[in-house]
Amino acid sequence: MNNLSLYHCRAGLLGLALLLTLSQLLAQTPSLVSGRVTDEGGQPLPGVTVLVKNSSNGTTTNAEGVYRLSVPGNNATIVVSYVGYLSQEIAVNTRSTIDVQLAPGDKTLNEVVVVGYGTQQKKDLTGAIATVGSRDIQKVPVSGFDQALKGQVAGLQITNTSGAPGGNTSVLIRGISSITGGNEPLYVIDGFPVNNAGFGNPLNTINPGDIESIDVLKDASATAIYGSRGSNGVIIITTKQGKSGKAKIDVNVYTGFQQVTKKIEMMNAQEYASWVTEARNASYLDNVAGASASDPNSKRASSYQIPAIFQDPSKLTTTDWQDAIFRTAPIQNYQVSASGGTDNFRYALSGSYFNQQGIIISSGLQRYTFRANLEGKLSDKLNIGVNLTPSYTDQNDVNAEGHYGALGILSAAQSMPPFVPVYNADGSYSSYIVVTEGQPSIANPVQIANEYKIHPSQFRILGNAFATYSILKDLKLRVTFGTDINQFKRRTWTPNTINPSNPSTAEARNGEDNSWLNENTLNYKRQFNDHSIDAIIGYTAQRSYSNQTIATAGNFPDNLIPNINGGTVTSGSESTQIYTLQSFLARVNYGYKDKYLITATLRRDGSSRFGANNRWGTFPSASVGWRISEEGFMKGQTVVSDLKLRASYGLTGNNAIGNYRAIGQLSGANYVIGDVLTPGLGRSSFTNPELGWESTTQVDVGLDFSLLNSRLSFTADYYRKVNSNMLFTIQTPAVTGLTSAVVNLGKVENKGVELSMSSRNLVGAFKWNTNFNITFNRNKVLEMSTDAERILSASGGRPAYAVTQAGYPIGSFFGRRFLGIFRTEEEAKAYTVQPNAHAGDVKWKDIDGNGVINDNDKEVIGSPYPKYFFGFNNTFTYKGFSLDIMTSGQVGQQVYNNSFYLNNSGVQNNAQYVYDNRWVSPDQPGNGLFGRAIRGGKNDNTQYSSVYLFDASFWRIRNVTLAYALPNTLVNRLGLGAVRVYATATNLYTFTSYFGYDPETNISGDSFTSFGLDFGAYPQARTVTFGVNLSF
Amino acid sequence: MKISLFALILSACLLGACQDVSLDQVPQTERSEANFYQTNADFYNAIVGVYGALKLTGIVEKGSGSYLYMTELVSDNTDTGQARGGTATELYYFEDFNFALSSTTISNAWTSHYAGIARTNSILDRLAAVNIPQASKDRFEGEAKFMRALFYFNLVRFFGDVQLATHEITSPYGANSLPRSPAADVYALIISDLKTAETKLPTTIPASEAGRASVWAAKSLLGKVYLTLKQYDNAATKLKEVIDGNVFSLMPKYADIFPATTSFVNNKEYIFAVQYKSGQVGQGSDLWSNWAAVNASVALLGAGGGTGGGFNRPTADMDAAYEAGDLRKDASMLNSYKAANGTTVNERYVVKFRQQGALNQDSDVDFPLLRYADVLLMYGETLNELGRTSEGLTYLNQIRKRAGLADKMDLSQADFRLAMEQERRVELAFEGHRWFDLVRTGRFIPVMTTKGYKVKDFNQLYLIPQREIDLNKAITQNTGY
Repeated sequence: MNNLSLYHCRAGLLGLALLLTLSQLLAQTPSLVSGRVTDEGGQPLPGVTVLVKNSSNGTTTNAEGVYRLSVPGNNATIVVSYVGYLSQEIAVNTRSTIDVQLAPGDKTLNEVVVVGYGTQQKKDLTGAIATVGSRDIQKVPVSGFDQALKGQVAGLQITNTSGAPGGNTSVLIRGISSITGGNEPLYVIDGFPVNNAGFGNPLNTINPGDIESIDVLKDASATAIYGSRGSNGVIIITTKQGKSGKAKIDVNVYTGFQQVTKKIEMMNAQEYASWVTEARNASYLDNVAGASASDPNSKRASSYQIPAIFQDPSKLTTTDWQDAIFRTAPIQNYQVSASGGTDNFRYALSGSYFNQQGIIISSGLQRYTFRANLEGKLSDKLNIGVNLTPSYTDQNDVNAEGHYGALGILSAAQSMPPFVPVYNADGSYSSYIVVTEGQPSIANPVQIANEYKIHPSQFRILGNAFATYSILKDLKLRVTFGTDINQFKRRTWTPNTINPSNPSTAEARNGEDNSWLNENTLNYKRQFNDHSIDAIIGYTAQRSYSNQTIATAGNFPDNLIPNINGGTVTSGSESTQIYTLQSFLARVNYGYKDKYLITATLRRDGSSRFGANNRWGTFPSASVGWRISEEGFMKGQTVVSDLKLRASYGLTGNNAIGNYRAIGQLSGANYVIGDVLTPGLGRSSFTNPELGWESTTQVDVGLDFSLLNSRLSFTADYYRKVNSNMLFTIQTPAVTGLTSAVVNLGKVENKGVELSMSSRNLVGAFKWNTNFNITFNRNKVLEMSTDAERILSASGGRPAYAVTQAGYPIGSFFGRRFLGIFRTEEEAKAYTVQPNAHAGDVKWKDIDGNGVINDNDKEVIGSPYPKYFFGFNNTFTYKGFSLDIMTSGQVGQQVYNNSFYLNNSGVQNNAQYVYDNRWVSPDQPGNGLFGRAIRGGKNDNTQYSSVYLFDASFWRIRNVTLAYALPNTLVNRLGLGAVRVYATATNLYTFTSYFGYDPETNISGDSFTSFGLDFGAYPQARTVTFGVNLSF
Repeated sequence: MKISLFALILSACLLGACQDVSLDQVPQTERSEANFYQTNADFYNAIVGVYGALKLTGIVEKGSGSYLYMTELVSDNTDTGQARGGTATELYYFEDFNFALSSTTISNAWTSHYAGIARTNSILDRLAAVNIPQASKDRFEGEAKFMRALFYFNLVRFFGDVQLATHEITSPYGANSLPRSPAADVYALIISDLKTAETKLPTTIPASEAGRASVWAAKSLLGKVYLTLKQYDNAATKLKEVIDGNVFSLMPKYADIFPATTSFVNNKEYIFAVQYKSGQVGQGSDLWSNWAAVNASVALLGAGGGTGGGFNRPTADMDAAYEAGDLRKDASMLNSYKAANGTTVNERYVVKFRQQGALNQDSDVDFPLLRYADVLLMYGETLNELGRTSEGLTYLNQIRKRAGLADKMDLSQADFRLAMEQERRVELAFEGHRWFDLVRTGRFIPVMTTKGYKVKDFNQLYLIPQREIDLNKAITQNTGY
């Protein structure tokens, strides 16, 4: 990327050489036409193809844009074409000099695409690579670029698993390949493949405003150069570099506010009282023989008692707990950058401050980033440069997710009885935690948000120095040395004021993840006659060191010192991990006549992660491209402006198998001897010297197609990826002393189709561009250790709800099959497989047909993954105005709504929809989904079943930006270079039938074996911002 | 420029070479098999790990491990105060006698006991070759064999025929076709291990080693094994050796046996107990906070003491089992507590392991596995079975006397058995004896059926966890499941 300008320079020289060769050939014919080809600005265009129509007779222009061509006669027509410009056909007539000015067409074809260890022009690509430019990255006001990429690239599925400031996303390229290993793509920042460590989302350490482009490498041809790290795809981030010329200063400022997109309607205090009374009576009658609903509390065990406060519900007042925890929160961002330079020295500098408060009280993120990208030319042969990116991120997290028993704020807000006020009369927090009538104890969610402190921060400096040396004209050595110094810590504090039953605790975690990388590559690039070669070989070495220390404290005498120093340190631990990687790599790109393209790559990786008997892996790939539009038979037609067929096949690996997994370890089995805590040890893992990387083979067939001078362009890809030898945790018989072992085993397939289309619908003064992409991916487990093996998984402390088994997608929902609600007692009694069922209870399918419902009556009941996902983006511009509308969606995925589960268990969630739609009596049977109010009934209605799964398809208006660029005349009068003002609205509206806060958000994070759990995940905000960009 | 090229290449080479990118990396902060099992300290850590296995979730854990659900909750002693559904679903298997083949409580019991056994095997396999003092070797061997016997004794009683592993299994596939061995073979190993342990273990355990096994623990356990096998002569011999050792005696007051305030040295009754320690270091007991009345919270447990689990709640039948005036009752269970607002809440709960003021799941109260009163009662039972009923009565009456109850006189052999069943129930309540005792004496089905439990004949063994059958075709399920 840094030798971009050199590349252009050399392309010109090559063109000249070609011209000289050709002109010697042409000198034999007497009838000559010559001329000069220029662009729209009158600048000469070298390398332009000039062809006699319907023949193979042609030439290209030289560095000055001049061509000379022999023509068969005066009736001849010449075709002048150049990538990125509209072709012209000109009748020669009697003229001997024809100058041509080309109008711009689709420039995307000679856009430079960043590939691993180099760059290529888009037209020369044989792999599946998508590029997103800075403009599209910066449209959405978010902390991390991952959130901004959503909906912009086919095959790239990004899910905001948390809407918290700096919250996590799950990023998948072409599906989920691995069951136990990592599924995150490899991130390469300015050539440096980085580890992503830290608390919270480590991608927040990169300021989206500093990014020039993001390239998404999808197929094996593109990713095999990254060897054992390539199989989950690669995302290459290139930061902004200086350009020679006048110094340019940019100021970007935006500010705005965020709100929750939706509130869930809750029962009022009176409804709640009748709901609980109903549930308690129902379970009393269900469980206790001879019970009567009129029995007084004194006759009942505590869990069946009717709270005394319900004796006169009309006196109760209703608190809106959602209003209490949500707020309108500000967001702001300031960035100043400067760039410029001379031919010998270029610089790009920036500094930014970002501050996002969260829509749940007490949450927020602040970030400071800096960047210095410098490059100098020491001589004609030697260039050196450095990229430095320090950042500091400071978060205040809240414990939004999970069960209220684990102090989940959203769950607490939905479960807290509505008659409880937020504050007591004396201003202290009210609570519902010391109760005697068998009520669950629920801590005050406002108090949790304010007092349960979770404070992560992270300092990261990414530095990369490089030198390139031209050994020969076409042979270049590049040496880089980089370090990624990543320091993070987290402090948590849970005072006993939140729940007096739980003592105060504090925890301190300090971590670091430092790595260095040395890369040495030799690049040979040459074009002769019809042949072009671009070859690279290299050796790289990388070492990563990570360390984490954790100290926890308890026994706090008071809450005056909210950190580990205020109590007694009760446990401490340190963990250090080192991993090394040595690699040899090679790649050849060969092109013939710009029509036939071949790429072959090979990487050999050795890693300390792999077992002693399996330390080195080899990862080859090959791909071909055929630019059909460059064939003679396609010349002269004007409909198809570009047509390329691509195919690739290759082997890549996934080394995200953890460190030291091949080595049998012992872990703590402490005990008390002599009344003293005494360290004990027991074997915790098997030794497996064969353990290695996961291997993915991928075939990709693609078509790039543009029409009507590139007004319309399409890219379509079909792919099939098979990941085998997966890092796999097999179950072992317990008699071994261990219940699991890590081996390489199994196969997972992802296959799919990606389509993307861009269209310039209107190109006049009023411009309208449309981009659309859609991806269909099918995931299937092909092989596990046995056909019958099931890996059951869960998140959020729930009982297992997902299964990974052969024949189904990873992490399919697995549970009982819901058949309905028994409407009448007769119906219930008639269904003898559920002897304890009564009217209003849940009916399940007897899957194994053995006449009883038990744990064996479970099957795959749904999938958390979409059938397809898409982005649909439109841009309208008129004079200085532009309007961007980005939308994205997913269709067909399901979500396990655990808030509904809690609700169904009786009295722990107070959503109105359950109250309104529940079974009350045979005449008032509700909507058939929601059973009777009962707490602890014998039929156990809460058993996880398909009733808790809901379609979470959505189409979201992700971002709308209206911008106005002030006219140049006005701007110049102000002494500025450019002024743009804009307003954006993010998550403006979501079309969905899902009734939770957010169909997209779930708390499973990157855990794909148990994806799709909605259990109080932090919802995404609707954000409105106003901003201005100034350039000097 | 030649110089700069040279410098460039040189620096590249230096960067590659001077930093360590060796592909041989070993764990920095975890002990690995490569460097462990070499010194006396290593073996000590390993043997502590064997005792530590008692705190695995499938054994006693903090108290609410599988062990007490499978011995108390399953019996007529306790039920659960938890409402049906959710996490309590498992608990109701032991009430309804309708077990899921995937029951985690049962599966954990299987898994944890074998984890403990594997830890003993790892030690026993390596002891011969290692160069450490012979005295250490002997003691480690005795402890490992005692613990292996204890784990197998639980397994064989819970599950009947079980897999027999006597050496470390190094390959994950090493046990994929290992079948269940006949219970007799398992008992043979248990007896052989305990006989070895008897000769290798120390006779006295100083306070600084509280928690480690003594020769008395081995003899007591061996006596219990013989009694279970109805080898009454052998049982009588072993139990008498413990009694004649004069190391242990009954505490004068029943209520003084259990509290954390009774120190190891002063507790004359505990022969072998699971050790707990507060301080939030992962070694506390939850026998108080989790067994206290459900949701009693601060009213009963005090600030920071937890909410009260009611996991093992004494039944009404248990409540009625105590004779009037039995001093043991209030030290074992209560019927009600005062709520924060002063009202009385009627809810039964276990107080045997109470430690007022302890933080949630973090009390110091140890849990006895072998107690002298148990030895006396077992000896009495043995004598009765040997036809020495009146002699046996003296041991029964020692226990009754401390409880403030009148002596039993002139019992027939059959009546003695019932009196012993009753006495063991109240004396050893909530200590994990009831199910073993009833099954051992063939009384489980009649006693439980009379009280209305839907227990079936095959419930005298637990089911084999489905995961083991799925992983190993040679494993068969117990009859009835």
